Amino acid sequence: MTTRRGFLASLLASAAVPRLSWADAGDPAYLAAAKEPDGQYALFGLSAAGQDVFRIALPGRGHAATAHPSAPEAVAFARRPGTFALVIDCASGTLAHRLEAPEGHHFYGHGAFLDGGAVLCTTENHIDSGEGRIGFWSRSEGYRRIGSIPSGGIGPHEILALPGDVLAVANGGILTHPDHGREKLNLDTMRPNLAYATMQGVTERVELQLDLHQCSIRHLATDGDTLAFAMQWQGDLPDPAPLLGLHRRGGAPVLCQADLAEQLAMEGYAGSVALSGGQVGITSPRGGRAHLFGLDGAFKETLHRTDVCGLAARGHGMIATDGLGGVMRLGADGMTPLTLAPRAWDNHLVRIG
Amino acid sequence: MIRSLAIALCLTAAIPVAGPVAAGVPEAVQDHILPRVETFAIQARALAVNAAADCTAQAVRPSFDNAWDAWLGISHLGFGPLETDGRALAIAFWPDKRGMVASTVAGLLRDADPVVDDPAGFAEVSVAGRGFFALERLLYAEDGSYDRDSYDCRLVQAIAQDLSRMAGEINADWADYAQRLLTAGEAGNTAYLSDKEAAQRLYTALMAGLEFDADQRLGRPLGSFDRPRPERAEARRAGRSLRNLEQSLAALNDLADALSDAPTPVTDAAFAQARAQAQDLQDPVFAMVDDPSGRLKVEIVQQSVRAAQTAVSAEIGTQLGVGSGFNSADGD
Repeated sequence: MTTRRGFLASLLASAAVPRLSWADAGDPAYLAAAKEPDGQYALFGLSAAGQDVFRIALPGRGHAATAHPSAPEAVAFARRPGTFALVIDCASGTLAHRLEAPEGHHFYGHGAFLDGGAVLCTTENHIDSGEGRIGFWSRSEGYRRIGSIPSGGIGPHEILALPGDVLAVANGGILTHPDHGREKLNLDTMRPNLAYATMQGVTERVELQLDLHQCSIRHLATDGDTLAFAMQWQGDLPDPAPLLGLHRRGGAPVLCQADLAEQLAMEGYAGSVALSGGQVGITSPRGGRAHLFGLDGAFKETLHRTDVCGLAARGHGMIATDGLGGVMRLGADGMTPLTLAPRAWDNHLVRIG
Repeated sequence: MIRSLAIALCLTAAIPVAGPVAAGVPEAVQDHILPRVETFAIQARALAVNAAADCTAQAVRPSFDNAWDAWLGISHLGFGPLETDGRALAIAFWPDKRGMVASTVAGLLRDADPVVDDPAGFAEVSVAGRGFFALERLLYAEDGSYDRDSYDCRLVQAIAQDLSRMAGEINADWADYAQRLLTAGEAGNTAYLSDKEAAQRLYTALMAGLEFDADQRLGRPLGSFDRPRPERAEARRAGRSLRNLEQSLAALNDLADALSDAPTPVTDAAFAQARAQAQDLQDPVFAMVDDPSGRLKVEIVQQSVRAAQTAVSAEIGTQLGVGSGFNSADGD
């Protein structure tokens, strides 16, 4: 029997839950995970000026976070080959949901929201077949699993929502198996691709020329028109292989390279990519530098910073984070430090909204 | 005496590095970096002057060796002035998996490219066509020596002049760059945002130098047990493979000494062992990797270099409160 008091309480609860926005979490512009000096891991909300807006403890090192477009919810993925993801209520700092990868699958560490934030998409490995999958989860049903499609390749890493509820997926091409940790099992035969998909399946796949088959396509950024994809070279180093490509639907990819010395200095590794103000940037923590290119693929400049990795759009420029605790602004005047915190910022910086 | 030393050690371990600049940074800058970049500038200048006076291979080789030795004294400082305009690679383009030095030098020779008469133009030639490895191709050409009035001769002079230019610029740039390291963490220093970042920079250079010696200088000729690759040894034509390793280890040992202001017995012993074992190889180009027992000796040197890396990490990294980069060590 429902008491009057209990009925009122449940009404209040249901009215309160879906109305929250990112303003209720302090209006952060970015999400970034970090390792703190005592060895703890936490998720931070950052303002556009790089100041802390909130801090929420995490149970361990994660990979990327995915921000809901309007509600103050962040999905934090365990590092691959992790089998869980945490939906964190950033307004209250509490765990809202825990997603478990379906049996026989694990997550790759990235996700994206479709349909105004109603559906979460996750990159996954179907372990027995090694086939990449994209999983779908319904937010309104408490992040219930509602289906999946093949990702169109092996080892899907970052996934991005494009205008019109189209997904872009970086199928990195690297086969791994949880029994072998992060060991790469197919370096001689790998063939990564960039795939476009809807919830019904993959609609377009883009492969690079065969001699670049060891360029693992891993991270993505878009301005809504051009898609930028960042790569990691899996062959012998040093090698001046391209680490960035630009693509438009139906067209041929444009590969971007700096001069020989600068290209080699990236050490075959791009950690993040961002696109803003008619420029595209990639970071190499191993090379201690970021490279900026024009949207025509022409190399613009190098910006130096030790262990720089996180990168996101900021106005007409960009913003970067590093493993020394620095948050930097990248603009026409080069790289300018914004803040320095006693923590190591982890791989990615995620823009909200 | 022993007791007070023990207390001092405990204090060093317990209290994080404090003060305006991290311990070891001023010593590394004043005692290690600045004298060495000056030595390189002097030796590269001597190389250019000697090559201008007499460009024949026999005449140039001694100052070529001196300049290369001086370069190995600083080649591990791969940040700041050494990476401006790709200088480090323009000075020493190796490893060269695709044979770019050979093809670039061959292209210049084939075309008798007049760029050799224009220093500013030559500075824009591909990094694979400049520096010690391009010069090595000419001074140790397989098809014999060249004449005084040949194009080869002018190319030797142009490369030597270009090396001298870069060495001079590195020396000049370091005067300013040293201030950035020494004022780490002070207002207005946008290169090093805390004192620890300067220490981290030098520590990373030390570790990367050891890694390069183990993975590249030793690792490339070692190849695999089934397929050793002696032809991949660095500077094989000039017979400098072992010499380059020994010079590099000496420089890294010196940096380790400068960076640490507490005793580092494990690091000292590891460097001493690696350097002694390298010297004992007495094989200038690691040709011995073709033979199983010879290969084992080279592998042992490689293990000792890796042991030095471990020791530096445990003793000096801990002392400075720094480690390998969070993202560069483990990306995804």
